[in-house]
Amino acid sequence: MRNMQYKVAHLINNAASAIFGFVFIAIWVGVLQGKENESPYSALDMTYYIAAVQCILWLSGFLTAGLNIQNGVRNGAISLELVRPTNFFLYVTSQEAGRLLYNFFFRSIPIGLVFALTVGFYVPQHVPSYLFLCISIFLAIIISINLHYLVGISACWTTEIDWAHFVNFTLLIGLGGQLVPIDLLPAPLSFITPYLPFAGAIYYPVMIFLEKVSSEVLFIQLFWAVLLTLMNLWLTEKARHKLEIQGG
Amino acid sequence: MNLYIKLISGSLRSRMQYKMNFLVSSLSYGLIMAVDFVLLAAILQRFDDVKGWNLFEVGLLYGISSVAITLYRVFCVEVHNFERYMVEGEFDSLLIRPVSPLSLLLTKNLDLSRIGGTIQGILILIISIIGLNLENVELFLLLIYLPISILAGVIICFSLGLLTATIAFWTQRIKDFQTFTLYAPFNAANYPMNIYPGWLKIIFFTVIPVGFMNYTPILFLLNKGGSLWNLALPPAVAIVFLFLSLRFWHFGIRHYHSTGS
Repeated sequence: MRNMQYKVAHLINNAASAIFGFVFIAIWVGVLQGKENESPYSALDMTYYIAAVQCILWLSGFLTAGLNIQNGVRNGAISLELVRPTNFFLYVTSQEAGRLLYNFFFRSIPIGLVFALTVGFYVPQHVPSYLFLCISIFLAIIISINLHYLVGISACWTTEIDWAHFVNFTLLIGLGGQLVPIDLLPAPLSFITPYLPFAGAIYYPVMIFLEKVSSEVLFIQLFWAVLLTLMNLWLTEKARHKLEIQGG
Repeated sequence: MNLYIKLISGSLRSRMQYKMNFLVSSLSYGLIMAVDFVLLAAILQRFDDVKGWNLFEVGLLYGISSVAITLYRVFCVEVHNFERYMVEGEFDSLLIRPVSPLSLLLTKNLDLSRIGGTIQGILILIISIIGLNLENVELFLLLIYLPISILAGVIICFSLGLLTATIAFWTQRIKDFQTFTLYAPFNAANYPMNIYPGWLKIIFFTVIPVGFMNYTPILFLLNKGGSLWNLALPPAVAIVFLFLSLRFWHFGIRHYHSTGS
């Protein structure tokens, strides 16, 4: 019975995610109607775009706040976790990666199917796109996990991460292109956002899927994935030292 | 009422103990909604309108919907987080008190950090009203009606929140349901209902009646269609919906079986 409750809740959540998608698609179709010549995207392009975004969000958008590191800080368990011989960064991130793998099969794919059966779902036409897509999604996940880790590990200094998570999530969704493809943003933003990590988490994998950007954007993603990982490894070391000084 | 004010002021004082935290979280919550609206503004600046609704007109819908849901989040935080009472078995302790469980839930806590979102919504309303540059009579009517529309919105939101909370008597967990019954519909209500396909419109005007709180009256107030009835509908729907949700809540309590321990 308990299992059944979870299944129903899960289904409801997937349905809600699809409804969010339908709402955003409706906005774009409403906006673009009769004005498609003014836009680099047709209404159908935007339908595919939003549908793909709703799927990728479950892999690189909706991650656990602070990867739950803050809970360990609050109840003191972090001191044990940090001194363990296993690498704390790898330990926390691989746990999240497991959850994302689950999301892929039980959220992204069913939601994608809903769109495929209702409004249509794009299928990449060229074989190399599939390889680039896999790499891009992989990098997107690394970028997003790192952003969330950054928020979580900040708890070692601030103890409270709610607001940091809010800000991170907003930037991820807003500047990541969840509602508006970032090339459509007004001038100063559209120059900067392509080079920010948020675009690497949502916009680029979606655009590679839709075959609308060259595979060179993978380098921007790779740059952020490496930089953020190194930064987090360094911060984890810092957190460990801070702990040693406090002793206890 | 006296009791309510006492309980609320107590919870207010406890919240203000952490002023910095309160300020930062209000600001960040406001920021989220600001970014959301800036993105919408970016689309509408570029493409002028969405099915005949310009930025300021959509801003009215957006503002009302945002203010309504954030006020609900400020005042009904325990109803919204009702899952905790089921999962941790705290509901029993509410049942043995002399005051009704719902009154206790409504007075127990305030989430003032959500005020940032309310202020944000009000700012959007002000900007939109200035931008619309209405004639005196229309402006007067709109200003008089706005509080009614917002209040109806809060009541509809509260009713939906309470209906969802009641589901917890059977399912324990409701977080997933809230995405379906609150977040998605209120997000949809930020935009004019005429952009949605028929089946979605039916949902938003029946089982999850968010379309009534802002779209119906604004349609009439901005001369986009409808009759005077459009102004009577929001409060009427809100009251009927509130009544139904209260009935369902009491039905849920009667069927509540403590897990005991």
